[in-house]
Amino acid sequence: MFNRLKNHSRIARLIVLTPVAFLGGCADRPFWLFHPHGPVAGAEFHYLIADVIVLSAILLPVTALLIWVLRRYRAAARAPHDPRWTHSTRLEIVVWGIPLLTVGVLAYLSYQGVFAVNPYGPRVLARAAAPERAAAQVSAEPGAGLEVDVITTDWQWLFVYPSLHIASANELVVPTHVPIHFRLTSATVTNDFFIPQLVGQIYVMPGMRTEQSMIADRPGAYHGIDAEFSGPGFSWMDFKVRALPRAKFEAWVRRAEHSNRRLSFRTFARFARPTVNLAGTITRFSKVQPGLFAHVVAQAKAGKAYPTPYAFTEDMHEAKFLRHAD
Amino acid sequence: MLVHLPPPWNPIFGRLGLILHYRYNNPMIFFAFELVFVGAAILLFWLTCTRRWHTLWRDWLTTVDHKKIGVMYIVIGLVMLFRGFFDALMIRTQQAMAVGPTAVSFLGAAHGYLPPFHLDQVFTAHGTIMILLAVTPILVGLMNLIVPLQIGARDMAYPYLNAVGLWLTATAAALVMIALFIGDFSHAGWVGLTPLTELAYSPGPGVDYWIWAVQIGGLGTTLGAVNLLATIIKMRAPGMTWPRLPIFTWTSVATNIIALTSFPVLTAAVGMLALDRYVGTHFFTAGLGGDLMMYTNLFWTWGHPEVYFLVLPAFGMISEIIPTFSEKPLFGYTTMVLASMAIAGVSWSVWLHHFFTMGASPGVNTYFSIATMLVGIPTGVKVFNWLFTMYRGKLHFETPMLWAVGAIFLLISGGMTGMMLAVPAINYIVHNSVFVVAHFHNMILVIVYATFGAVTFWFPKVFGFKLDGRYGRRFFWSFTAGSLLVFVPMYLLGLMGMTRRLDYIAHPAWYPLLLIQVVGIGIYILSVIYFLGMLAVSINRRETRRVGADAWGSARSLEWATRSPVPFYNFAVTPVVHARDEWAWRRERGLTDLRPERYVDIHLPRNTVVPLVIGAFSLVFGFAMVWRIWWMAACGLVGVIAAVIIRSFARDTDYVVPAEEVRRLEEAAARAPRPDTATAAAGATLPPHAQPSVRS
Amino acid sequence: MTMKTTDDTATGQATGGLWAFEDRGHDPVSTRTLGFWLYLLSDAMIFAALFAAWGVYLHNTAGGPTIHGIVHPLYAFAETAVLFTGVFAYGLAMSAVKRAWRGGALLAMAAALGFGAWFLGMEIHEFSGLAALGAVPERSGFLSAYWTIIALHGAHIALALLWTGLMLVQVLWSGFTEKVVYRLLNLRLFWHYQAVIWVCVYVFVYLRGAMR
Repeated sequence: MFNRLKNHSRIARLIVLTPVAFLGGCADRPFWLFHPHGPVAGAEFHYLIADVIVLSAILLPVTALLIWVLRRYRAAARAPHDPRWTHSTRLEIVVWGIPLLTVGVLAYLSYQGVFAVNPYGPRVLARAAAPERAAAQVSAEPGAGLEVDVITTDWQWLFVYPSLHIASANELVVPTHVPIHFRLTSATVTNDFFIPQLVGQIYVMPGMRTEQSMIADRPGAYHGIDAEFSGPGFSWMDFKVRALPRAKFEAWVRRAEHSNRRLSFRTFARFARPTVNLAGTITRFSKVQPGLFAHVVAQAKAGKAYPTPYAFTEDMHEAKFLRHAD
Repeated sequence: MLVHLPPPWNPIFGRLGLILHYRYNNPMIFFAFELVFVGAAILLFWLTCTRRWHTLWRDWLTTVDHKKIGVMYIVIGLVMLFRGFFDALMIRTQQAMAVGPTAVSFLGAAHGYLPPFHLDQVFTAHGTIMILLAVTPILVGLMNLIVPLQIGARDMAYPYLNAVGLWLTATAAALVMIALFIGDFSHAGWVGLTPLTELAYSPGPGVDYWIWAVQIGGLGTTLGAVNLLATIIKMRAPGMTWPRLPIFTWTSVATNIIALTSFPVLTAAVGMLALDRYVGTHFFTAGLGGDLMMYTNLFWTWGHPEVYFLVLPAFGMISEIIPTFSEKPLFGYTTMVLASMAIAGVSWSVWLHHFFTMGASPGVNTYFSIATMLVGIPTGVKVFNWLFTMYRGKLHFETPMLWAVGAIFLLISGGMTGMMLAVPAINYIVHNSVFVVAHFHNMILVIVYATFGAVTFWFPKVFGFKLDGRYGRRFFWSFTAGSLLVFVPMYLLGLMGMTRRLDYIAHPAWYPLLLIQVVGIGIYILSVIYFLGMLAVSINRRETRRVGADAWGSARSLEWATRSPVPFYNFAVTPVVHARDEWAWRRERGLTDLRPERYVDIHLPRNTVVPLVIGAFSLVFGFAMVWRIWWMAACGLVGVIAAVIIRSFARDTDYVVPAEEVRRLEEAAARAPRPDTATAAAGATLPPHAQPSVRS
Repeated sequence: MTMKTTDDTATGQATGGLWAFEDRGHDPVSTRTLGFWLYLLSDAMIFAALFAAWGVYLHNTAGGPTIHGIVHPLYAFAETAVLFTGVFAYGLAMSAVKRAWRGGALLAMAAALGFGAWFLGMEIHEFSGLAALGAVPERSGFLSAYWTIIALHGAHIALALLWTGLMLVQVLWSGFTEKVVYRLLNLRLFWHYQAVIWVCVYVFVYLRGAMR
């Protein structure tokens, strides 16, 4: 399904993009969803194209028929008028049959897709990753890869690398061609983890744990987005994503290990105070206290909250706000 | 009530002291003040100058006539539509201004002119108002107006309850408007995201305003659903069997079944949220045994049926308009009825598609994905049936027909994107993006188009004269151009990866499309002007635009059998129904000019002030609960209960219009085919109070 | 029903078939009863939503008291008996109404009122016991749901009592007029509806607590 779709999707991409390309202005490739750089986002995009093709096959003729009827039977056209024609069993079968058939096809497609990009173990990852992983000389046993714990606060992202004992706020750095397994939770309210070019959305909820997996195919800088509204600082709550080749990633890890910012349960509580990340500040932490993720989940379950001050962003130039929003 | 609240609170004023902390010097708030108060002052001045206070009180505020209640519902809906449009205007201009870190900043915002504290309230109000206080009242109003006429009833089954429902809806609208000036409104989206709506993350009164507006308005809608269903089941004219029911009435049946069963779930969900905020329970908190996704599930268990609650009457309207302007009966009536019922049924099993990204297991997502797609089948059938209704017809593109055809095109595009969103694999990349926003605006535009079509279609029935076609067409085309310019770029932005509810746009690549949307909003403003122009021109020249019973000459169902404007007793004598399209049946047999040879006494309900009083007390209750002024809330609640009890002792609730009086009125109307102008504008020839009342 | 002239031949001149002159007098009692059934349906949906939520919250005890620790099925059985006796008394009132026996109806309604109040008293007693244990709704999601379901049912009973009291006055005031009768009939539906809801409460809340 997937491979066959690839050719179609190129053509479809061309058709869709040509008229809108100039609308995007100067930015290169503004249509993030049409330029996936990883197998999960790639599969999601291919299902989008397949769905549009199936639907167009039905809806374009129907639209054409509608326009034809509107022209042909306008009063001025003096077309044959048959006010008694109100029922036709054969047509009824057709009008129920066509949508039924379409929905059947799409339902199958959807069923396939759900498993292909299932956040708790995308099939497409296992399939797509194997040869490339061999090329990248990463151990091929299942479950191998990099674990990243994602913790959201009001309104920042904290990416903890439990096996490396480092953490990074508002920037996610990953090696290419390595499966990345995320565990996600929130210290405050529900957020939504989304990297348009790499992986689809998954909720990040307080007191709960969700999972997501992805592979970055190509080195580069990507945009990470909080897609679920989470309060006044939400609009500034994006994060940067950098996919680096193995060697560069290891260099980055070493730099992070030398950061003099430490992250313990106590400093996390300070980090989690309501903060609007207006300046897009990125912080790296070393010596992360083990079990931070579980600690945050347990605290949320025990009723810990980080309350939002009243009318917090009414004046964002106020000294009080700016001090809070560092 | 005992939850530790941030001060101030005192027993007399509750939390009202909080308003001392607001900045009323914000010019935006000032502008809103001006608009509302100057508008209200002009209205009051006009009422006083033209001495209409008495008319307003007697003919409108205390009425139980389903037609006037319907008109008032629609007026509330249009006013709130205007308010919601202003909110949209602010969202669009803010987003176009706040692009990139170097964007200009005014009025305390970091970028643009609306800081999140304001923008978040604006988009929450926009959603809440547009769905619950604009589209819902307009649809309920239209059902109120048309359904009793279509089934040949004198009034609704419970005229008094009908007025109660109206004033509860008005109370909800009033609460949302009060939130504009006294305190703030919810910032957590119209869906009331938990745990964001919990006290820890929304300490102000805003969410409380939202809670009580939703609760009181929802109660009004539930009562309306009871009333409409009982009316359709019990009040049909002789011969109006179920297979002869006009299609709009059928969709009203389906839609009110949805309302009756789904609104209580909203009441339960929002009630539990209120308990969390007022009593300190842990239903939707993150900790201590709370389950925040329980709220999301319950909310959408109502929320998705609510979508079909809105769209089904719209389908009914399209199904009434297209046959009339195709000079042909509806194709596949039985199928249409089945499709409506199927949509109502399936609407109950699709709610989880609003949060596929929650992290549910693949099996669950597959089930809800396929269930969602099933809705596409009956909807597709409807499109085909409208197509075949027009096939071999004789199409007249009057304004209602333009709106109906426009709605079909919108339904096709909205259906296409809906089927995309129903696939979880696709949903993962467009959920919470503006693609979704564009999709549901596309679908709600289907409803808006059908509604504007229906308003133009039935306007002459209610008021006795047609709306101006030239201005109507300008309104249609400018509205269409505005819609395209706003929502096509929005779809594209969604595919670019832009998410919803943003106060600040980090990526300059989105800027050109955001600008195009502002242009679209500008054209929407033009369409509002054309709409007002259409009303002004039509009312000014109403004498030349008078119509007979059948305003369009090719109408089909029973409501066209009584004269226009509809007299306060609906039908001089209850008609007997012989066919599915009774009026078309009579026209084909040349029976339309016949008049009954005698008249009979008509029983009608008497006006009452009690519903208005109930509305007023519930407003007091809602306001007091928002500010936690317990003594005042108790007064409001006791007031409502006392009003209901006092009303239950009233004996003189009905009156009789004697047959002679009916004859006099009917013959006067027949002698003067152009009805009296002064009262026609008010919607009825003679108010019930002009009649001698006889105790029943 | 005047359905005589549906054939084409009779139309044209005869207008009799086009209009129904006798006021069919839509039966107000049955119309009211239908409306009340519809209302009960929507009210039941609130309980349905709560019971659905109950299934989840049952386990969300957050380390606090569990269902086994706080429910007393036998005490609740006594409550059931009291409530059902009240409903039965109201049923007797309706059979007195059938015979137009005002005194009997008043007496039976007063009895229903008494049993209803007794039931409410028992519930308040149960709640105050829970509060003394510290099992308050603020403690956990489970206790929130427990208190809410039972208190909502109790609020319905309180409403039924208010309504019954009102009907006592109205029967005294105006006797068995049409309006009073359909209100009495609807109130009967309301009492029975409370009993049905209580059965669900008893099974899903109290008996669930007895199960190990």
